[in-house]
Amino acid sequence: MKKNFSVTSDLSLVSRTSADVLAFLGPLKLPEALLFDLRLCLEEALINAMKHGNGLQKELPVDVSVEADEEAVTIQIDDRGKGFEVGKVADCTQGGNLLRGGGRGVHLIRQLMDEVKFNAKGNSIRMTKGLKKTRAKR
Amino acid sequence: MEVKSFQQDGIMVFQVNGEINISTSPDLKKQFEKQPSKKVLVNLENVGYIDSSGLATLVEMLKKTRAQGGSLGLSGMSNKVRSLFEITKLDKLFSIYASQQDAVSSLK
Repeated sequence: MKKNFSVTSDLSLVSRTSADVLAFLGPLKLPEALLFDLRLCLEEALINAMKHGNGLQKELPVDVSVEADEEAVTIQIDDRGKGFEVGKVADCTQGGNLLRGGGRGVHLIRQLMDEVKFNAKGNSIRMTKGLKKTRAKR
Repeated sequence: MEVKSFQQDGIMVFQVNGEINISTSPDLKKQFEKQPSKKVLVNLENVGYIDSSGLATLVEMLKKTRAQGGSLGLSGMSNKVRSLFEITKLDKLFSIYASQQDAVSSLK
């Protein structure tokens, strides 16, 4: 199954958008812990797209594409920004970075999802969570 | 999100109920800044969800408390919330207690 969502760059819409996406995934009857991870990664990516990508310009949309089947859930988020150099994001777990205010969103996404890819420009993220391991545990 | 704050054995306790996310974390920060204290405990027992903005707010509260020569602890985290502290290595930065009572005994 596949569905596209589009949201304006308004941080107050982040929770509602993630609720819409999780509702779409409802028929898969995913476990709570997995839904927590998907919600967190989706919201972190949405916030990055709205804030750092579109600079909170409300007229600029963020596009969310969700694909899911028995094997995996894939979420792609595209903004209209100039992108960023993924390799230049500081490791938030190292030394003085631990005390820094930001920089944890991308780290959380990389740790919680099974596959994370950015486009060359850095304004599109595609993240996949496999469901096989989760289903085997049930 | 609701934040109840009260003194217990000389420690300023912030009992958070709800989610600490990009919309609610500024409220937690405001409550904290209104009541500066050298011994602070944030009870996360009733927090089911926290995002990177929430983590950043707790880090900021820790830095401000330490800058005054104080200490800040966290208590009552769910396994899921705790896992985020472990992933980000923030579990090495904070004093984390199983319960409010354990935290108060240690911090007082």
